[in-house]
Amino acid sequence: MNRFEYREAQTVQEAVEMMRQEEGARIVAGATDVLIRWRQGAWKPRYVLNIKRIKGLDEVSYSPDSGLSLGTLATIRTLERHPHIQEHYPALAQAATAFAGVQIRNLATVGGNVCNASPAGDTLPALLAYGAECRIAGPEGERLVPLEQFCLGPGQTALQPAELLVALRLPPPPPRAGALYIKHSPRSTMDIATVGVASVISLAAQPGVCQEVKIALGAVAPTVVRATAAEALLRGQSVDTERLQQAAQAAAQTANPIDDIRGTAAHRRAVVAPLVQRTLHYAVQMAQGSRLPFQMQRGLAVEAVF
Amino acid sequence: MTHPLSLTINGESYTLLVEPYCSLLDMLRDELQLTGTKKGCDEGDCGACTVLMNGKTVTSCMVLALDARDKEITTVEGLRQGNTLHPVQAAFVQYGGVQCGFCTPGLIMSGVGLLLENPRPTEEEVRFAIGGNLCRCTGYAKVVQAILKAAETMQAQAS
Amino acid sequence: MPDSKVLGQNYPRVDAADKVSGRSQYASDVYLPGMLMCKVLQSPKPHARILHIDTSRAQHLPGVRAVITGRDVPDARFGNGAVKDKRLFALDKVRYIGEPVAAVAAVDEITALEALDLIDVTYEDLPAVTDPIAALRPDAPLVHEDLPFYEGYKPNMQGNICTVLDADRGDVDAAFAQADHIFADTFHSQGINQGYLEAMACVANVDPSGRINVWTSTQAPYQIRATLAEVIARPMSRIRIIPMELGGGFGAKLRLCVEAYPVLLSLHTGKPVKLIATREETFTLSGFRLPTIVYLKTGVRSDGTIVAREAISIFDMGAHLGAGVQSGVSHTLGPYNIPNYRMRSYAVYTNKIWAGSYRASGVADVTFAVESHTDIIARRLGLDPWEFRKLNAFNEGDLALQGGKIPRNGLHETMDAVKQHLGWPRTAKAGTGVGLAMCQWRSGSGPSTASISLLEDGTVSLLTGSVDISGTDTVFAQIAAETLGMDMSDVVIARRDTDLAPFTGPSGGSRIIYSQGKAVQMAATDARDKLMALAAAHLDVQPGMLTCANGRVFVTETPERGYTLGQLARMSLTSAAGPIMGTASLSAMPFAPIFSTQAAEVAVDQETGKVRVVRFVQAQDVGVAINPMAVEGQIDGGAVQGIGRAITEEVVIKDGKILNPSLTTYLMPMAVDVPSIENILVQVPTDDGPFGARAVAEPPGFGPPAAIANAIEDAVGVRIKELPLSAEKILQALHGELPASTELDHDLLQQLRGANGPG
Repeated sequence: MNRFEYREAQTVQEAVEMMRQEEGARIVAGATDVLIRWRQGAWKPRYVLNIKRIKGLDEVSYSPDSGLSLGTLATIRTLERHPHIQEHYPALAQAATAFAGVQIRNLATVGGNVCNASPAGDTLPALLAYGAECRIAGPEGERLVPLEQFCLGPGQTALQPAELLVALRLPPPPPRAGALYIKHSPRSTMDIATVGVASVISLAAQPGVCQEVKIALGAVAPTVVRATAAEALLRGQSVDTERLQQAAQAAAQTANPIDDIRGTAAHRRAVVAPLVQRTLHYAVQMAQGSRLPFQMQRGLAVEAVF
Repeated sequence: MTHPLSLTINGESYTLLVEPYCSLLDMLRDELQLTGTKKGCDEGDCGACTVLMNGKTVTSCMVLALDARDKEITTVEGLRQGNTLHPVQAAFVQYGGVQCGFCTPGLIMSGVGLLLENPRPTEEEVRFAIGGNLCRCTGYAKVVQAILKAAETMQAQAS
Repeated sequence: MPDSKVLGQNYPRVDAADKVSGRSQYASDVYLPGMLMCKVLQSPKPHARILHIDTSRAQHLPGVRAVITGRDVPDARFGNGAVKDKRLFALDKVRYIGEPVAAVAAVDEITALEALDLIDVTYEDLPAVTDPIAALRPDAPLVHEDLPFYEGYKPNMQGNICTVLDADRGDVDAAFAQADHIFADTFHSQGINQGYLEAMACVANVDPSGRINVWTSTQAPYQIRATLAEVIARPMSRIRIIPMELGGGFGAKLRLCVEAYPVLLSLHTGKPVKLIATREETFTLSGFRLPTIVYLKTGVRSDGTIVAREAISIFDMGAHLGAGVQSGVSHTLGPYNIPNYRMRSYAVYTNKIWAGSYRASGVADVTFAVESHTDIIARRLGLDPWEFRKLNAFNEGDLALQGGKIPRNGLHETMDAVKQHLGWPRTAKAGTGVGLAMCQWRSGSGPSTASISLLEDGTVSLLTGSVDISGTDTVFAQIAAETLGMDMSDVVIARRDTDLAPFTGPSGGSRIIYSQGKAVQMAATDARDKLMALAAAHLDVQPGMLTCANGRVFVTETPERGYTLGQLARMSLTSAAGPIMGTASLSAMPFAPIFSTQAAEVAVDQETGKVRVVRFVQAQDVGVAINPMAVEGQIDGGAVQGIGRAITEEVVIKDGKILNPSLTTYLMPMAVDVPSIENILVQVPTDDGPFGARAVAEPPGFGPPAAIANAIEDAVGVRIKELPLSAEKILQALHGELPASTELDHDLLQQLRGANGPG
């Protein structure tokens, strides 16, 4: 635990400039990850750079044409309760409700969760499955990076020195869409995921046929990954039970988990298929028009309901 | 190097100097001797340090004191009105929701925070709202009952 | 309870208003002027010689006021129990990762931590033994090579064997030979942390007269005082322990833990010194439950009667004698009447932190084994698990293990109550099931004192030394109020510390209501007798013609003739006998068993292995529920602790290193993980407890692991004999891939079977 210094930025430009001029910064937003790592002695920043005072970085806006814009400082609690997110990006609201407890959700930010780049980060499978894009500000100006290319490994992102994530953009949802995130962990609150799965599906105008699908797996690889082989099996096909099962099996092949304190590689591998099957099943139901109450979605997401 | 910090706690203004690495929890306890808020784990996992920050429940061990600048903090000490307990406090007493008491301030703040957002919670909603508060003594049943009873009382008082 | 204003009433805890206001003072809430902060340097090695300690760099760090090591303390060993195998600081070698090596007092915690990094310790690694089976081998490294020289040593402590206990009755081998069926199973229980929310905390201040004042989080102030006096070589009378409000202990705070370090540093610096343990240190500085292996072999007749049992238990004890080995001879029969038995229980030293106490240590592990084994037998015999238990359960008058006969009790009532409440047998939908477990314990005994003083306004002050954990102060007030015919609000519980209150035993082992409460009842009765004698003298009647009720003592036939308690108190000031005080002192209470029956209803996700408890029912014989709300709260909490032990809790230790010393990775149940427990209070009064009460607190934690394991078998047909019942194990079992749990090999069992130690 070192004695770090404290800086605050009032604008994005100020933050970038500060990081450019003074080395050894650790950006702090919600502070939840930073304080834990600092107390463990894992991170010893020379100074923390508080970006929470930068106006506008917490804004959430949605329109059917441009989709969802999430300011990096949008709290996980906001993601959980925002009517547009619940309505149009339900897997993201479910992931938020599965995230730690209420107190942490009131502090933790979506940008912090993304930049922490944990393989098990709860928002990551849903963001990936919704095709999120990262807007980054830096000394050279702004750039856009798909989320897929942003998380590079455990704790590693595509951020260059003096860059910061300012927003995430999710494309507009297609019609006839549904999604479910399930977090497999010992308890139904507070735990880091042993395995996390998000499936987002949209159906074609032709009944029972998959138009588009994205399946994202968390905590079974160095980063959150898309089960692309499974997706290929479904795209353009009818979404009957057998097809979903095949896709689920294919997804299990994508997993490349390790043993750690939260579970063995063998167990992680063993639950991928059932969780993919289950998330696809409910996603299809929602896409077909079933309205699952939020309590039910939450129950499924945290395995309080089987 | 210390930095100046101004904030409001339980309706009173405070100005003090704190180190950058001082958490809101340590500031409340060590600098201001507001010891009602407890430290159970210092890593956001137990909820014993829960306070309201601008009306939202937060684990104060996870908040840098300097981040609380210009904010309104409510701790358990701020709930009593003179000798009258807040309905959530009174319900914890009446319905056996208190045993060793160490989780109690945090649990009460979570209960208060819940009822500010949702005055008529179901039992399931109460359990999820306190899902970040660890209690090792009560098994939660009487705590949940107390919060539900407090909600009833507060609804009755409001009408 | 007929005609009682006080007994059987749900009085709120007398300390609840302060606790909900944040006004209660716990040890970490004590701030004294000039206070320093203490941190302890801990060994990073499981087994190593200490070659050299250099504290000079630490001592020169600005803000550091003192650094001490084993060189700076008296050369004294102490112990958690019979063997004195501990030191405050490791001296010649370290025996576990986490063992204290030095301590620092500095102006604040961050400076103290920086100082720890500047203490240079040179170690020479020794081979470590971290598995109890390995530790039993003749060639195993010795954790305590000087064991024969320790006070409390017995010749049967060979090698790394710390304790051997045995119990035999009848002819178990002949009974096995004659049995119709024999079953043998081995069960494994995991490391469990007590999970008290308030980490250890202590402030020590030596005042100018040389008295040592210690404000601490403890369950046992008098025991702390005695041990502290021994290890710092000061008289007990110079030490004052002030037990602060206790934020949970569950056994972890029954013995000297961290208090000595702030005390020694306060002696060195002349300043108050505070130590607050981190959550990690609740795993590394204070012992918790270590894994257990229980082998059970049972012989039964075809009709289901149990005729013989052999039990061999191995308790991983860690580096110092701790708790639990007793349960291998006290609880391996279960609440069943078994005429022939052979029980062997071993505690084995390993290079880990000692096995600390946790709520009837060891009994939960043993109950998991016994009640799982009971179900296995019932199912194999084709018998209903409830009927099989009913057939074999103790009856009043059966021989008790501790000698004598089982007194009147409610065991059968609890079985019937669960059957009736839950409905048995239950046909459940696919993937759900129900399982039973029965728990037994005894109401705790031990020295207890109480005194009651009558104030001139008719209120009473009750003084006991016992730390209030479970709401016992409130129950004491009820007992006193009931005995003296007063209102609860007129009974004041005096603040306590070891200077003010006379000796009492620790708050643990389900002791306080039964024993300490008895002392309170006796003291209140003593006071009442004195009141009646005084009133009788003034009213010129026999005491037998008086009633003490409603705050008065009056002639039963003519109630208007009498005095208020306040009047009597004032009269007593000038009476021949002097001011009225009731006192009581006792050292042992008769055996009063506690029995409960529990049932868990679970849902198993057959695709992921996850199990959820959807209902949990328990019926417990509480004797008499003086405060039903308090009793329910206690047994709610115990049951949820048991559910945690069953499904999600495990301290994972690899090569002596704890891999999950954090609440992020040591997982205790939260509110969304458990149902509301359904409690049935069975009341079969004891002869001796206060108003017939039994102890209550510990049994509910024993049964859930077996009840849930049994429910899982009922639900999905798989049997798991190793805790916790994780999703991984359940899924493996469903896929037929569960690795066979380690059995104890034949030779080892033979060796352990020999009475009084191996060979």
